Amino acid sequence: MPDLQSLGDNLQVGLEHYLTLSVMLFSIGTLGVIFRRNVLVMFMSVELMLTSVNISLVAFSRYLDDLNGHVLVLFVLAVAAAEAGVGLAILVEIFKKRDTVDVDEFRQLME
Amino acid sequence: MNFTWSDAAYFGPEAVMGLTFLLCVLGDLVTRGRRHVVPFGTLLVGTAISLVLALLHPPVSSHAILGQMVVVDGFAHFFRLLFLGITFVTALLSWSSREIMGRDREHQGEFYALAAMLCFGMMVMAESADIVMLALSLEAVSITSYILAGFARFSFRSSEAALKYVLWGAVSSAVMLYGLSLFYGLTGATSYEGIRAGLSGGQGGMALLVAILFVMAGIGYKISAVPFHFWTPDVYEGAPAPVAAIFASGPKIAGFALMIRFFYVALVQDDSQGTLALLDDVQWPWVLAIISAATMTLGNMAAIRQNSVRRLLAYSSIAHVGYMLMGFVVLSANGLAAVLFYLFVYAIMTIGAFLVVVALNNRVSGEEIDDYAGLGFREPLVAAMMFLFLISLTGLPPTAGFIGKFYLFAAAGEAGLWWLAILGVLNSVVSLYYYMRIARAMYFTPPELSGRVGLAQAHLILLVVLAVPTLVLGVFWSPLKEFADQSLRMLLGGG
Amino acid sequence: MLELADGGSSSLLTWMTFFPLLGAVVISLLPSRNQNLHRWTALGFSLVPLVLAVKLFMVFDRSTSDVQLWTQVDWIRTFHIQYFVGVDGISVTMVLLTALLCAVCVVASWGIQRATKGYFALFLLLETGMMGVFVSLDFFLFYVFWEVMLLPMYFLIGVWGGPRKEYAAIKFFLYTLAGSVLMLLVMIALYFNVNDPSTGGHTFNMLHMMAQANHGEWLLDPTIRHILFLGLFIGFAIKVPIVPFHTWLPDAHVEAPTAVSVILAGVLLKMGTYGILRICYPILPDAAAWFAYPLAILGAVNIIYGAMCAMAQTDMKKLVAYSSVSHMGYVLLGMAVFNEAGITGAVLQMFNHGTITAMLFLMVGVIYDRAHHREINGFGGLGTSMPKYTTVFSLALFAALGLPGLSGFVGEALVFVGAFEVYRVVTIVSVLGIILGAAYVLWMLQRVFLGPLNEKYADTPDINRRELITVLPIAALVIFLGVFPPPIINMIKVSLLNLIAQIPG
Repeated sequence: MPDLQSLGDNLQVGLEHYLTLSVMLFSIGTLGVIFRRNVLVMFMSVELMLTSVNISLVAFSRYLDDLNGHVLVLFVLAVAAAEAGVGLAILVEIFKKRDTVDVDEFRQLME
Repeated sequence: MNFTWSDAAYFGPEAVMGLTFLLCVLGDLVTRGRRHVVPFGTLLVGTAISLVLALLHPPVSSHAILGQMVVVDGFAHFFRLLFLGITFVTALLSWSSREIMGRDREHQGEFYALAAMLCFGMMVMAESADIVMLALSLEAVSITSYILAGFARFSFRSSEAALKYVLWGAVSSAVMLYGLSLFYGLTGATSYEGIRAGLSGGQGGMALLVAILFVMAGIGYKISAVPFHFWTPDVYEGAPAPVAAIFASGPKIAGFALMIRFFYVALVQDDSQGTLALLDDVQWPWVLAIISAATMTLGNMAAIRQNSVRRLLAYSSIAHVGYMLMGFVVLSANGLAAVLFYLFVYAIMTIGAFLVVVALNNRVSGEEIDDYAGLGFREPLVAAMMFLFLISLTGLPPTAGFIGKFYLFAAAGEAGLWWLAILGVLNSVVSLYYYMRIARAMYFTPPELSGRVGLAQAHLILLVVLAVPTLVLGVFWSPLKEFADQSLRMLLGGG
Repeated sequence: MLELADGGSSSLLTWMTFFPLLGAVVISLLPSRNQNLHRWTALGFSLVPLVLAVKLFMVFDRSTSDVQLWTQVDWIRTFHIQYFVGVDGISVTMVLLTALLCAVCVVASWGIQRATKGYFALFLLLETGMMGVFVSLDFFLFYVFWEVMLLPMYFLIGVWGGPRKEYAAIKFFLYTLAGSVLMLLVMIALYFNVNDPSTGGHTFNMLHMMAQANHGEWLLDPTIRHILFLGLFIGFAIKVPIVPFHTWLPDAHVEAPTAVSVILAGVLLKMGTYGILRICYPILPDAAAWFAYPLAILGAVNIIYGAMCAMAQTDMKKLVAYSSVSHMGYVLLGMAVFNEAGITGAVLQMFNHGTITAMLFLMVGVIYDRAHHREINGFGGLGTSMPKYTTVFSLALFAALGLPGLSGFVGEALVFVGAFEVYRVVTIVSVLGIILGAAYVLWMLQRVFLGPLNEKYADTPDINRRELITVLPIAALVIFLGVFPPPIINMIKVSLLNLIAQIPG
């Protein structure tokens, strides 16, 4: 029977792990924005990207033992909310007129 | 992070604009959105007061306030005056525009509140000295812009433009924030000065390259540089024309201001001889030089194919970003002075050209180049001024645009970037072709209708107000050049 | 080396340059209905430079190569840009030519009916631009005038031109701008690498640029000098136009209204060769010597190609346009040999071609006003129905083919005399151009004026008094300078000797 306690002591979760998670989330978000055509899903992907920013900021902040990073995180959260608010409001406006949230349908502004 | 009341004296113009925003909202509320003149007047008065404050107290030295997050110096002063001027002119321009103020429109008053907020955000963008403030001011401008782009709520085009803008804007700001978080992680600092101090020691390596590229992507989106430019024509076309005029000038210029301060404070150092050098091995000027080349070339090539005046101007505004980046990449005070000079001139001529579009939109239904046929004979004054703006955009003497381009090419030449300068002048020749398509329609094609078009008096006055400096600065431009030089002295000398 | 004449300061050239601009402003403020008022105002404002030109001709000191009648004022001090104008022997003839042709062309434009206000205002603006180019001694100022001139020209062709005016106008504009932006870059390169000996800073002053001792280290590399020379040369070559940059010319000349064609051929083409003499040669003399042979060959190509194209034309105006290409080839050939006869012949030919081609275009304009077409084969026997017209036109045509006794002969002869010493083969080939020239001129003369009278034009009124007023002064000049060229040769001689003395080899 392995000693869970000692295993846990040996397995350190360090900065790299947080950054790896952050990069993964960022990549997933980026791919989501590029490949999904549903505006709502695209907005969610953007939120993922912002979350990854927050994770890396918090990790750095903790690692550097510096509070500025946490401050930026709070602002990023607020900004993300504001952006989503405006974005969704505009989307509602469009949905009322077109009954769709598929970006490929929005092509009136083309050459 | 201490706030002292003496900071307020330095932050006066910004504080006034912030207050103006609140008063505009309040005024609109109190009058229940029926008397638009209240927010409009508030904005004009607020901008004027702010302008007077800024002119009365030009900064004599670089002064960091609000917990070192904002720096008020000559550079900030230059852009303050520019943004306040842009806000004042675009407010007047919007007041007589049917697209904003027409009978069938709603919430006209809010437009002016948003304009105040935008001006506030842009001013802070030029002053921010910390990535927290950078992110906040940039978002303040962006979110306001998204709302302005979708201001014509009933119009599907406007909403579609706004959606594209907000979606890609959110993506680009997420990318930039990620880059900023890397800067923070690499240096442990959030202030530009701190980042420079952190970087000057060692090698940033791959992480620094990624960080710089990501920040470039975010700023590139704001200033619409290739390959982050794709939203520009759609948004300029879909948004109401006065909003397009604002976008083509204000936020783009603010993006440049932010970029100059960030890159030149955080990533460049003065050596003892007063020449600028890179901090690290990351050759970002080369990346930007290539972006510059791509931006001017693609912008011009795409503009040739446009039939809509507004889309044409949108692509031309992209091309101009390419020219301006030319002055940015040479790492010299002369190059930056050329950029500042050009930004000032660019604001005047671009707003002028868009103003003609706005003024005609009130009367003429279409925005195709062909709809301008015979304008030279129906409205000689307007056409003459449009022509003046067009040759200024092309960069022909005796207009301010020529002097601006001349300084940019000179800066590139001085730095030995001849390939970029040659590309730049060839692009100018290409741009002549599509600008002259508008001139051709105005003068060489007989009008379909005769008689005056009948434009708003306010628009005519504004046109003259913009045309005069376009011409005068083409003949005598010393004061502006010296102002630009002086504005940079504190930014580059202080570091 | 070019120097300022002591005590030669004068505001004469400034008046000559900016008086037409004042006229343009005045005309644009006049009421638009009264067309005669526009015409007379324009005439008044273009006569003043002509009167001043006569004064210039009187006071010009022919014994020195120094810059005379100069004005030097700081314009933009931080960038060392000056308002610096003056004339020497090379530019003075061009200033005289410009003043003369502009006044003549205002009279020749009397028949313009459409938007006369805009037409004459732009025309006077054009005169300011052209004058400015010929008197500027600051490179920046030169460039500004060079470009300013494009704008009115674009409109004059595009609004008042013929059926394909839009195409011709934009083609002219694009070609010339493409050339001038190259010049802009070379100008910037020179600015940063030439030192002002008095201040130690950079300078746009052409006289400082010409003094080789002021050239910086970067500028001493022969490869760089050759590249800079080429950049400038292409810019000017487009204007001349030198084959293969000539394709804008037939379009622009044919579509432009008569008076504008006269200015295009009479003055604008000279700007190209003037620019080479004023800027390329003295600033980069070693590069000029290096490129001399290719220049001579290009000259020969221009002569032969232009003449062959002229032979193939059925449109009179196009024929005259291509003859210009051919005649500018003589200028280029003369310039490529750096001896007295050749280069004097070249500058003389610049002046004489200006007057002769002006006559030709005016005469083509006269018949076009009456017949509304210019087909060479569409006429015949006009000699009987329009005797006075035939006389004047024949005079112009004979001058164009270089008949001794008329001014065209002197320049061409000098060019060949000078060129034969240096490039035998090229010169012998070029002389064929004279034969081709005679061929297309006589061929046209025969088909238009001789033979049986085309009944359609039996009642065509002969040349009228206003048209004679435009053409007779020029005709007198052509005959006078053909018999007695010294008045012009004396003006240019000393300056040209000074110029070729600087060219090595």
